[in-house]
Amino acid sequence: MFQNRREGLALALPAAVFACVVFLVPVAILLSEGFRGAAGFSLTPYVEFFSSPLNRAVFLRTLKLGALVTLVAAVIGYAAAYAIVNLSPANRGRVFGLVVLPLMISPVARTYAWLVILGRTGFVNQALTLVGLTDEPIRFLFTETAVFIGLLQLFLPLMIISLISALENMPRDAVPAARVLGASWLQVFTRVILPLTKEGLVIGGTLVFTGSLTAYITPAILGGSKVLMLETLLYQRVTVANDFASAAVIAMILIVMSFSANLLLKRLARARGR
Amino acid sequence: MKRNLSTVLVLGLVLAFLIGPFLIIIAASLSAGNSLAFPPQGLSLKWVAKVFTVESFRESFATSMFLAIFGTLAALALGVPAAYALNRYRLPFSETVRTVVSAPIIVPGIIVGLALLRYLVIPAGVPVMLALFCAHTALVLPYAVRVVSASLGNLRSDIEEAAVLLGCTRSGAFFRVVLPNIRGGILAAFILGFVTSFNQVPVSLFLSGPGVRTLPIDMLGYMEINYDPSVAALSALLAFMSIGIVFLAERFLGFSRYV
Repeated sequence: MFQNRREGLALALPAAVFACVVFLVPVAILLSEGFRGAAGFSLTPYVEFFSSPLNRAVFLRTLKLGALVTLVAAVIGYAAAYAIVNLSPANRGRVFGLVVLPLMISPVARTYAWLVILGRTGFVNQALTLVGLTDEPIRFLFTETAVFIGLLQLFLPLMIISLISALENMPRDAVPAARVLGASWLQVFTRVILPLTKEGLVIGGTLVFTGSLTAYITPAILGGSKVLMLETLLYQRVTVANDFASAAVIAMILIVMSFSANLLLKRLARARGR
Repeated sequence: MKRNLSTVLVLGLVLAFLIGPFLIIIAASLSAGNSLAFPPQGLSLKWVAKVFTVESFRESFATSMFLAIFGTLAALALGVPAAYALNRYRLPFSETVRTVVSAPIIVPGIIVGLALLRYLVIPAGVPVMLALFCAHTALVLPYAVRVVSASLGNLRSDIEEAAVLLGCTRSGAFFRVVLPNIRGGILAAFILGFVTSFNQVPVSLFLSGPGVRTLPIDMLGYMEINYDPSVAALSALLAFMSIGIVFLAERFLGFSRYV
């Protein structure tokens, strides 16, 4: 540990100043526009934003899709992580690599693939017509279902990775012991696995939830203007209506949610360190 | 035996869901037909070849490459000294400094882009390219500080104190003792930053204008107008590029140790 404070500050300051100038200050000014009325401070932009039924619907849809994606990712994540942890070490490495692989691919490419699969002449519609289940192509694109599928595929790896490390830290004999003592699989899950992997679930859940709330590309491509979410609504308000007050309100909502999720993670990490 | 079967079934379905779309993109990009389809209509490389002839793709690829490489280098130039100061000096306000430099990770990119456009580019006349460069640098900065910090944390600080005691200057000790030891961490931070910056969309959304566009933004724009397999081909090529970089890094550096 060096004691020379001036030297230390001189090394740290450029990064801090840069982050302030190109980041903190502009974002703070943007947020302040949400508190600006005709005469100084007011909450008018917030009242106006939430008085519009469309905005309320978008806000609730964003929360709903975020929660739904997180829930389904947790269910699939547990099944997948449990299966991966019980593989032989060589296979575990290989499957883990395949789970991580999509994270390196551009989200634009990953979302684009769903156009090919779910489009009017897409793979699913062709298969359905071939089997005779439908005569006319079913509309999948620009529905909440499409956005849900896209988000789930985008963020599921994060949940699986978090749960794998949680399951690896669980005592190996816990599950067989509970089984021998007569617990059903449901009891094993709720009484043994869930309490022992709670932290991994919270970490994975936070990553998936904040990721879904703040995703732009997936709702933009798969939802379009029919299924707006907060980020696509922000983009639309600014480009179509030059409405910076609404943009500031949406920005505040997104930052508050993302920040509280991060705070939760930090608190958890500290509790574990103790 | 029953448990083996369910394991295979679960993993098969999950991997099909995660990897399948990527395979479909590759197949669709090899189509000989004129519209995006799976299964592809005949096989050809014409869409892969077409990607290289589209003028705007070439330009935006160069822009994205420039931003990813030099934005990440700039982030390292700022981030390495900051990480060093946070790890080795007793700093006043060190928690505040840490929060400030890692804040860009918490705030959604679209908000950063909008704020820069509205308060720097428009009123101060900052060129779009410079604003994009700053935005990408700010975005990568938290990763640079975090990865390099982790790397410094694994290096005992006595060795540089020993170097100073033996008559080396402080900066000499940094360049000749510390830097060679955290080379791997810096390279890992560079790769992580490069991939993050290259694939970044929301930050560039508002900042890209006529003239200056990043590649993902250009692809989004192209997709809205055209329904041919060239974006699929480009996506597949880019994916192979990212996977190749990360694979090489893992092979030669043990990249995953740092991230």
